Amino acid sequence: MGSVFLPHLKTGWHVDQAIMTEEERLVVIRFGRDWDEQCMRMDELLYRIADRVKNFAVIYVCDIDEVPDFNKMYELYDPCTVMFFFRNKHMMCDFGTGNNNKINWVLEDKQELIDIIETIYKGAKKGRGLVISPKDYSTKYRY
Amino acid sequence: MFAAPRRDFLNEPAPENYVPGLGRGATGFTTRSDIGPAREGPSEDAIKAALAKRAEALENGEAADEDDEERFRDNENDEGLFASGTYDEDDEEADRIYKEVDDRMDSRRRARREAREKREEEEYELKNPKMSKQFADLKRALSTVSDYEWASIPEVGDLTGRNRRGRQLLQQERRFYAVPDSVLASRGPAAYDNAVDRGEGTTSSVDGTITDFRQISEAKDKMLGMRLDQAGTDSVSGSTNIDPKGYLTSLSSTIARNDEISNIAKNRELLMSVVKTDPKHANGWIAIAKLEEQANRLSAARRLIQQGCDNCPKNEDVWLENMRLNQPAHAKIIAAKAVQNLPRSVKLWLEAMKLEGDIIARKRVVRKALENIPQSVTLWKEAVNLEESPANAKILLARAVDLIPLSVDLWLALARLETDENARKVLNKARQAVRTSHEIWIAAAKLEENAGNASRVEIVIKKGIAELQRRGGMLERDQWITEAEKCEREGAVVTCQAIIRSTLGQGLEEEDQEAIWLDDARNSVARGCYETARAIYAYALRVFPTVQVLWREATNLEKQHGTRESLFGVLESAVEACPTSKDLWLLYSKEKLTISDLEGARLVLSRAFEHNPNDEDIWLAAVDIEAENNQHARARVLLSRARQEAGTERVWIKSVVLERQLKDSVAALELVNQCLHEYPTSAKAWMMKGQIYEVENRISQAREAYISGTKSCPKSVTLWLLLSRLEESQHVIIRSRSVLERAALANPKSPELWLERIRVEKRANNINQARNLVAKALQECPTSGSIWAESVSMEPRTQRKPRLISGLKTCENDPILIAAIARLFWSERRADKAKSWFEKVIKADSDIGDHWAMMYKFLENYGTEEERNDLMSKFIAADPHHGEAWTKVMKDVNNFGKSKDELLQLAASQMSP
Repeated sequence: MGSVFLPHLKTGWHVDQAIMTEEERLVVIRFGRDWDEQCMRMDELLYRIADRVKNFAVIYVCDIDEVPDFNKMYELYDPCTVMFFFRNKHMMCDFGTGNNNKINWVLEDKQELIDIIETIYKGAKKGRGLVISPKDYSTKYRY
Repeated sequence: MFAAPRRDFLNEPAPENYVPGLGRGATGFTTRSDIGPAREGPSEDAIKAALAKRAEALENGEAADEDDEERFRDNENDEGLFASGTYDEDDEEADRIYKEVDDRMDSRRRARREAREKREEEEYELKNPKMSKQFADLKRALSTVSDYEWASIPEVGDLTGRNRRGRQLLQQERRFYAVPDSVLASRGPAAYDNAVDRGEGTTSSVDGTITDFRQISEAKDKMLGMRLDQAGTDSVSGSTNIDPKGYLTSLSSTIARNDEISNIAKNRELLMSVVKTDPKHANGWIAIAKLEEQANRLSAARRLIQQGCDNCPKNEDVWLENMRLNQPAHAKIIAAKAVQNLPRSVKLWLEAMKLEGDIIARKRVVRKALENIPQSVTLWKEAVNLEESPANAKILLARAVDLIPLSVDLWLALARLETDENARKVLNKARQAVRTSHEIWIAAAKLEENAGNASRVEIVIKKGIAELQRRGGMLERDQWITEAEKCEREGAVVTCQAIIRSTLGQGLEEEDQEAIWLDDARNSVARGCYETARAIYAYALRVFPTVQVLWREATNLEKQHGTRESLFGVLESAVEACPTSKDLWLLYSKEKLTISDLEGARLVLSRAFEHNPNDEDIWLAAVDIEAENNQHARARVLLSRARQEAGTERVWIKSVVLERQLKDSVAALELVNQCLHEYPTSAKAWMMKGQIYEVENRISQAREAYISGTKSCPKSVTLWLLLSRLEESQHVIIRSRSVLERAALANPKSPELWLERIRVEKRANNINQARNLVAKALQECPTSGSIWAESVSMEPRTQRKPRLISGLKTCENDPILIAAIARLFWSERRADKAKSWFEKVIKADSDIGDHWAMMYKFLENYGTEEERNDLMSKFIAADPHHGEAWTKVMKDVNNFGKSKDELLQLAASQMSP
């Protein structure tokens, strides 16, 4: 359901604009397909926290079939991928999974997601490019 | 940051030919090589397609998306600022001209510039080669690799674990354990036994695992033997002669030698080949013999050097080496052979002579040598030295000078042996033989002096110098002075003086003479040659009789190293030469006084008056003499005459002081008033007037005197201080404060005044006010040690040290501050530190009596009697005249006539840590 309420980025230009024009907040983009089961679960979670993180993060969704321009660049091969940008910089986060670039699994807990976004935002404000995730996901999820 | 305008992009359509990620400068990443392509931005195809589209659009005249244009434009480039204007002919012409200018500028030095650019580029590429270029050659070679070869390239595999395993294995291998004897014995007992039994050179090797113990122990024995030999090589009697002190150093040298054992074998081979290829080369033989000697193979060394002698019989070094290596008995035979081969070698003859034991044999060898080489001075000298009786020596020398007439040494030796009369003749002959030797002339002069003909000495030296100048061989001035000093050391004072007299002026410019002579004399004194220095001064004073510096220096010399008579002689002639120099007169009278010749001093001063009438210094000196010897009436008469004849301020003050010392306050007051009539701006007179009243307890008059004094001399700080203290003594602190404030107005930045203000407050128990004043004072006079010391004393105990340190930083080496440090240590009972700081104080400024008194008091508590006496003698030598407490004690009328040590003790009794 959540994907209906989250703003969609229709083209590559929109993705770029979303990343570039945001000066103050973290830009969170979910790459995937709206009909995908994993994406639906993730979108639900994102929608439910969107209001609570609106002061420091903005959340978009992007269909990788409609906008295939970044598939190669960002290795968008998983069904659901969440990426973070701050002032036109790709923010990385060490989740312990071996892939620091994105979240490519589905989170279940709202607070966990808020914590991750907040941690990344704080690191970004300090000028870091890579932050350590508050929780280690190496054992729980395969990747 | 340049902020792009925020807009609602979500509702806008995307520009048609936009390349996603390009405008953002996005770059991708590679997480895992197996799931995606390498890092890249927007794909190349996409960019190309977009560019083609845009070009098409421009060609068609379609306006590109203005938003995008604006967005991606460089905001610093103001291109298009005048884009709205029309482009007319003028613009075109201007553009053309600019283009021409640009072309012209471009064409200048083009060749050179391009060459330079190219070179720089090449250099850059050389420094930062591209990866592809670096491996270009290897890559090319890869084309020849066949498919099969490609397939058979081995996999890399996991290297890390294997390496670690390898390392561990290696470490295990490196671990060694001593194999117990039991194992060896059980392994091959027969082989072990055999190895011990068998003769030298055979090594037992049954299976390679058995160690040859015999060989090892033999080698060890050999080394030990060698070391023992080296320790005992120089012992003749056979007893060990290890010097306990030199043992360690000799050990180190033996160790070095042991290291050289392998080198010796190598060097031996090398040198053997040298002597084989060139047997006529003597040095090779010597080297190899020395090597063998070092390796302790003396017989080999002897054999080799003998071969060397056979091969090069005409080289004296080989023979000498041969003699050295052999025993004396054998060496004699070698020496005989050597001199047969080389009869004209003085060295060989001397060596041969030294080999002989008794004198007669030696004499015989020397005679033989002289037959062969009659011209050798060394041999002659040896021969003379061997003779015991002077008569024989004389005969030998006479023969020697016949044969070698140019040897000055031989002539002088002969002259020394002869009687005076004959010596003169010998020297005359010598002079004719050697016309350029100054030694002979000096010897002749000394001879005359010894014979008692002092008058002839001068003549001889003069003649000698004239002769030397004519013939050449004249010495430099400095050399003559050294000769003179040598004569003085040998006791020939007259000769020394004669030399100085005749040579001192030699080759000097008129204007340099005085300074150079002063230097010469000082140097001679430093070398301890006082007679020479005296002679130099005497000569210099004959040339410059009116130069006071020379007289003073000469006096100093006599004072320190001469007798009293000679001192007074010099002083007498000094005052005769410069009768107008009062310094010399005063010096003379002072010297007379030191031997307590009162009459003499008076006489000197009266003579001084004749030459320098009305000179205040001499007047005052005369008065001092009378006053110190308690001839007050005479002093008074002298002073009254002085006042009439030379009525200077000092004379007046002196008169007043005398009267005060004699406690005649009425006369003193009268004199002060007269003095003030003559010199109304004399601060000292005003002070004295006030003090006289103060002593008589006439406070109001004293105050009046001080006030009028401060009016006429407002710059005299002491006068202000006296006035303030007078008020304070009457317990009128307010007045004293105002007085000090007025004084500070008249004399800004005066540390003394500030100090007094602080102390007034302290005495009145106004500590806060005193603190304020200290802060202000430090602002105004930040480098005054006394104020710093005062501020330190007001701090609590813990704060004192840091305060002192900051004070020391701002006014470094101020004696008062250093004294404060010393007192701090004293109060903490750290005697040795306090003592060292007191010594520093005295060193920094020895003219402050307070510090001497303080140190004396300190030594009374902590020092020994010796130290106190030492301090006292130093104090009397330094004769300080300053310091608050000290001047008070010194000038106190009650203390008049007391000696300096009494005064110091008095001052010390007032001191406290």
